[in-house]
Amino acid sequence: MAEGKTASAPLRPAVQKLAALPIPITVATKRADGFVQLNPVWFELKDGFIWLNSNTSRTWPKNLQRDQDVTLLLVDPKVPDRYAQIRGRLVSLIPDPKHEFIDHLAERYTGKPFRDLEPDEHRVTLKIQPVRVTGAMI
Amino acid sequence: MAVELSPKMQAFTQEVFPAIIGTNRKNGSVEIVPVWFEQKDGSFWINGGTNRGWFKHLQRDPRITLLLIDPKEMFRWAQVEGRMVNWAEDAGGDHINHLSHRYLKKDYQGPRTGRITIQIEPLRVTGAIDGRR
Repeated sequence: MAEGKTASAPLRPAVQKLAALPIPITVATKRADGFVQLNPVWFELKDGFIWLNSNTSRTWPKNLQRDQDVTLLLVDPKVPDRYAQIRGRLVSLIPDPKHEFIDHLAERYTGKPFRDLEPDEHRVTLKIQPVRVTGAMI
Repeated sequence: MAVELSPKMQAFTQEVFPAIIGTNRKNGSVEIVPVWFEQKDGSFWINGGTNRGWFKHLQRDPRITLLLIDPKEMFRWAQVEGRMVNWAEDAGGDHINHLSHRYLKKDYQGPRTGRITIQIEPLRVTGAIDGRR
């Protein structure tokens, strides 16, 4: 995770506007056998980075830690022909032991803090640097 | 080996929303785009131009993953891992017109030439619809 080695791709106003909506982002990673894995995930765009959070036992963050490479997709819920595909890199993996960031995301999506964590559930925040943006709203 | 879709999945795939498809680029990265789809006879059918990146990827590596998600309720979703088992020219654009009626309830307005229909066989289904993560 070498922060700052690659230039970030700028996100245009239309993409920023879409990212401000409480819609899930699709996270595409690759399983060890090469099959594409797709998951809808809560996110936040802030300071030019895309911030995700996960339970550490899930497969997609493990895939992401292995490859560091991710593709993300935002689709306009009203006009599915408008979408932005964002290639990105994992630049930081930040433990979220007090589940502050997942609470913050839950507030963004549900207006409430996140549910109580399960026993042995550990949360982690993933900071993604956008590297390239393509799609039908670019 | 192809898997049979559960009754819940059969019903879910009749709902009208785009599928998000993921394919493998040659450089190892993943391309994801939303597309129209239809589930019929246990297979997933999508349509595109032969110049689409994802179709080129599928000709090299037939593995494809579909994410189906209710745009009004993000916890209703399913992930289908599958493979392209067949593709054929969509002569006259009959299939894209059929999909246009499913999604827009009207004739397809775009060009009807140079299009193909792709058949995807499901190999594994996960996600909230079948209750398997």
